[in-house]
Order: sequence, then structure tokens, then C-alpha cells
Amino acid sequence: MSISRRGILLGGAGALGAATFPLARPAIAQSSEPIKIGWLAAMTGPSSAPTVGFNRGVTFATEAINAAGGVKGRKIEIITRDTQGDPTKAVNATQELISQAKVHAIWGPVNSGEALATTPLMARAKMPDLHPCVVDTLIDPAKFPAAFRIAPSNGQWDDAVRNYCLKVLKVSKIAVIGDTTGYGVTAVKASVEAFKKDGADVVYSANIDATQPDMTPDMLRAKNAAAQVIVVWSVSTGMEARMFNTRASMNWDVAFVGHPSLASGELASLIEKPANWEKVYAIGYKSCSYDSAGKLPAKSQDLVDRLNKAKVPLNDTLLWWIAGGIDAVELIARAVEASGSTDSEGIVKYWNSLSKYPGYFGNYSFSPTQHNGYPTDEIVMSEARSAKNGTFALAPGYS
Amino acid sequence: MLGSIIASGLAAGAIYALVGITYNTMFSTSRVMSFTAGQLAMLGGVFGSLFMLKMGMPTLVGFALTLVACAIIGVITEFVAVRPVLKSLEQHLYVLSTLALALMIQQVTAIKWGTEPQPFPRIVGLGTGVWDEKFWLPVVACGLTILGLEYLYRRTLVGHAFMAIAEDNFAARALGLPERNLRVASYALAGVIGGVAGFAGGELMLAFFANGALLNFYGFVPVALGGLGNNRGALIGGLALGLFQQAANFLVGGIFSSVAVFAIFIIVLLAAPSGLFGSATARRV
Repeated sequence: MSISRRGILLGGAGALGAATFPLARPAIAQSSEPIKIGWLAAMTGPSSAPTVGFNRGVTFATEAINAAGGVKGRKIEIITRDTQGDPTKAVNATQELISQAKVHAIWGPVNSGEALATTPLMARAKMPDLHPCVVDTLIDPAKFPAAFRIAPSNGQWDDAVRNYCLKVLKVSKIAVIGDTTGYGVTAVKASVEAFKKDGADVVYSANIDATQPDMTPDMLRAKNAAAQVIVVWSVSTGMEARMFNTRASMNWDVAFVGHPSLASGELASLIEKPANWEKVYAIGYKSCSYDSAGKLPAKSQDLVDRLNKAKVPLNDTLLWWIAGGIDAVELIARAVEASGSTDSEGIVKYWNSLSKYPGYFGNYSFSPTQHNGYPTDEIVMSEARSAKNGTFALAPGYS
Repeated sequence: MLGSIIASGLAAGAIYALVGITYNTMFSTSRVMSFTAGQLAMLGGVFGSLFMLKMGMPTLVGFALTLVACAIIGVITEFVAVRPVLKSLEQHLYVLSTLALALMIQQVTAIKWGTEPQPFPRIVGLGTGVWDEKFWLPVVACGLTILGLEYLYRRTLVGHAFMAIAEDNFAARALGLPERNLRVASYALAGVIGGVAGFAGGELMLAFFANGALLNFYGFVPVALGGLGNNRGALIGGLALGLFQQAANFLVGGIFSSVAVFAIFIIVLLAAPSGLFGSATARRV
């Protein structure tokens, strides 16, 4: 057989063409590909404290799953991007995780400002996303069918606070106070409307500038209006400390109930004396609250023991942040395991089928029309000043 | 209620007045409204808390170091944000340069100090209720500062030189006064006054990075009400603002008190554009 120049050229072109077609990868190679989870973490910046806690949970869960052989032989790979709490950086990181890193699911971001910017992006890419952000509008199964919340929404916090005031404390004259931020104004308005709807008498409501040096005017007006409880919607610890100090100087024993920041550790240094922090009840969670005997629920205690054994620090964070991080990774792993693939549709379908999935932070339930997974009845009030290794004592009234 | 209004109103008013005097001190030698005045007061609280609570220094040492640190920031303001734009005062570039520096100070404080308010230690430990030192300390500090400035301006050679520069810097220079050095000194003095405001008001306002913007604004009101460059006007304007603000807080509360304060502010400026105690200045032609 003679070899012509034309033959060599044709053969070479054919070989080149064939090389450009992707070869089907062997099934074994595909199944060993890691499960890539994008983690939009505000690791640095002013709002990094929750992320530090969440990240400990993410690392703990990932190491545990991988040490046990992974998910059907596939290891979990966490691809972390530090958003610094900045929505612009969060958007860039989301685009990079989706288009460059080609992650299979995303956990985060962990604050609402970022999530408001990233959720529509993820919806367009049909990227399965779990997040713990509280703004109600972030969950809408029609607009964002792949976004799921594994922490309470603002509305659920509001319900829990209202239930505690009306059904546990059994008070009917309510004062509602928030700061002048967008969050404070919205939360006070919603809270007042919900209290009125439930038949309570909202005797005083106000939004106070968080830098106002003296809280006496508002506290005095609330007292003169015969308020039996003061509901607080603010993240400003300075404002909260001033309110506690003012209550003490007025010799008033009214209870404060409200936002989780009422239990922030920073308050300890801002109050004039420790007693000023008594009768303050902050939003907490059953799974992360200890009873009058100092005992956590059995499952949470087991987790704490495992975390202690793994030398995961608990004394400078909150247990629910760590538990939430663990639950997020496990929910993604379970979805891949149950659906048999990392396809977006399979993961979303699995999450939509969950009913009382037993996580460490809570028992999550989702459906195609309800992506708020955290049960309201697991939100409780905590004694604000009772922090112990990231957990809190249950407020009075819980059996 | 009246006692609370007067106590907290005078305390807040004294802090506003001191910030107003900080504005005036910087203005007198440079003809520049430096928007770092409120940040200097914020730093007074932050440095005070840093030196005394975090580093455990005695009160007097902490106070002295706070004033030195604020004086240095004042001098930096002159070098960085004022001197480069003095040649084009009519373009008002100082608004941009001093605001930019103020924002930088605020951001650096937020990053290094934190975004949550931090406690400020008790200084004297005297008084409770409306006589608590957090209320009377700023008033006393303001009174002493005014007396000190009066002494400086009326009885000392340096004070006379300041007055000469403030009156007519061209004539002062013609007489051989070191205008540039005096301007730097006045910015250091402004830093000290701002530091006093923040230190004395630390218990009331806490050591909080966001106080800077608040004091920038509320400190400017007495300057506008009292007349630019008029320290007595700033004192009366500041105290009046504090009392009115607290009264409004008690009577209408919350957001509406701010509306009431600024409504009055606008009405006063419409009625007396040069401020209640200011006089129209002659323009050189």
C-alpha cells in the first residue's frame, strides 16, 4: 500500500478532529469526582462572628463524612470564598463558584444583605442553595425554586416572641422598640401589627436612634403607658445596654423580650452591673438551650461531646451556628446520596421531600411550596445572660 | 422628667458645644470647615477606653495620652486635608478633602476598634441619677475648656497671635507672624478640644466608631446657630440644641425628635443666616 501525502493529511485531520470530541469518561471516574460545595462565607469583616461559628460546623461535618468514606465513595470538597459581608463581593464569588469552580450546591451567604443580591443569581443558574438568612422575601419557591432556608425567618422570630409574651408571660400591654435602621423600622411595624392582630394592646412603639445617649425618654413613656413587657428589635448592643441600665435606674422590673442580640456577650461589658441584664429574654432554640438542671437535649449533648473530642472551640461562638454549618453540609450530602447524583434537580427534589429531617440545629421540613424549613415551635426564649459554651438557659415558663 | 431633660440635655449639649468649638478653632486660622471635628471627638472616647480599659493605664495618664493622640490627628488633618487645598479655598475643595479624611478615620476605627460600642470607664465615680458623672462631667469639661480658651486668647502671646491670624491673616503675615506654624498649632489645639469632648462624654456615648458621624453633624449645628468662629455662640447654641433635643425626645420621641431639631435649625438659619450671634462679614474687594 502506498502512502500518499493526501492520505497523511486526511488522516492527520481526522485524528485532530477526533481528539477534539470529548471521550466518554468511564463511570468509575465520574463517581469518584468530589462533591463540590460552594461556601459563601463572611470570614472577615465586621459581621464575621456567625461565619466563624458556621465554618467550624462545615469543617467538622466535612471531615466526618470524608473520614467515613464520603458519599458513595465521593469525597466532599468545600470551596470557600470570603465575601467579607459585602454584597458585591458575594455576587462576584457566586458567579465564580457557579461558572468557574462548577460547584454542585452552595451553602450561604449567611447575612441577608448578601443573600438579597446572590439569590436571584443562583435562581437563574438553578443552583441548589441552603442559607440561614432571616429576611422573609429571600424564600419564594416560585421565584427561587432552588433556595432553601435552614434557620428561622424574621416572621418566625416575631411569632415566637409574640407567643412567649402572650402565652407564656401572659401579658397584654406591650411596648415595641427598635432602632432606626431599615431592619428596626420594618421589624417594629410587623411586630406591632401582629400583636394587634392577636388582640394585644400595644401601648407604646418607637424607633430610637441607636446612638441616642440617654434612653430615659422612651423608657419613661413606655412605663407611663403601663407596658408589661418591652419587645426589642435591634442589633445595637449599645442601645440595648443603655435600655437595661435605664430600666435599673428607674427601679422598673419590666421584662425585655426580643432579638437574639439581647444575649450578645458584648453586653456584659456595657451594662453598669450584672443585675441589669436580668429579666432579659432573647430568641434562642430548643436544640441549643439547657434546662433548669443544666442539661441539653440528648442529641445536642452528643454533638457537644463529639465537638469537644474533636477540640472544636465552643466558648467563643454559638452552638447553633456550628450545628447549622453541620446540617448544611449533611443536607447536601444526603441529597446527593438519595438522588444518586449531583444534578441540581435531584438535590432540590430530595430537599422538597423532607419532613422533620432530624438535623442538629432543628428538624427541617420542606415541600415544593414551602422552603422555610425551620419549625417555629423549636424557637424558644433564652435567659439572655446565661451563655455557657454557646448555649443558653431556657427562659422561665418552659417545662 | 424635667431633671432628666436638663441633665441629659446639658450633657449632650456640652459635647455638641465642644465639637462646635473644635470646628471654630480649625476655622479661625485656616478659613476651612474641617469635617474631622466629630471624628476627633469620637477618637477621644475610643483612645480613652483603649488606654484606660484595654491597656489598664491610670486615668490621668490615659487622659494625657488621649489628648496627645487627638492632637496628632489634628495636625495630620492640617497636613493631609487642609494645606493642599488652601490655595483654592473659593472652590471649597476642603469639603471633599476633610470629609474624605473623616471617612478614613471612621473606617480605620471600625476595622481596628470594632463596630460595636465598647465601654468607657468611670472617671471620678461621683453621683447617681441625674447627678451621675456621665451627665455633669461633659458640662464641667466644657466650662473648663471655655475658660482655658478665654485665658489663652486674652492673656497669652500665642493666643493673641491666633486672634491676629483669625482677624486678618494677610496683615498678620505682614507683621511677621508665623502663620503656617500657628495654623498647625491651632489644629493640634482643635484635636485636644475634640479629645476632651470625647473623653468627657465617653461614659454617656460609649467608645463607638459611629459617634464620629453623629457628632460631626450635631456639632455643626451650634456653629451654624451661634455664628461661624464664635465660641460663645457655639456654647450657647450647643447647650440649646442639647436641651431642645432632649425635650423633643421626651415630648415627641424617636425619629420625630430629630425632625424637630432640624426644623428649628432651618427656621433659625432662614431668620438669621449668619447665626444668632454672628455678624455679616465684610467681603474684600
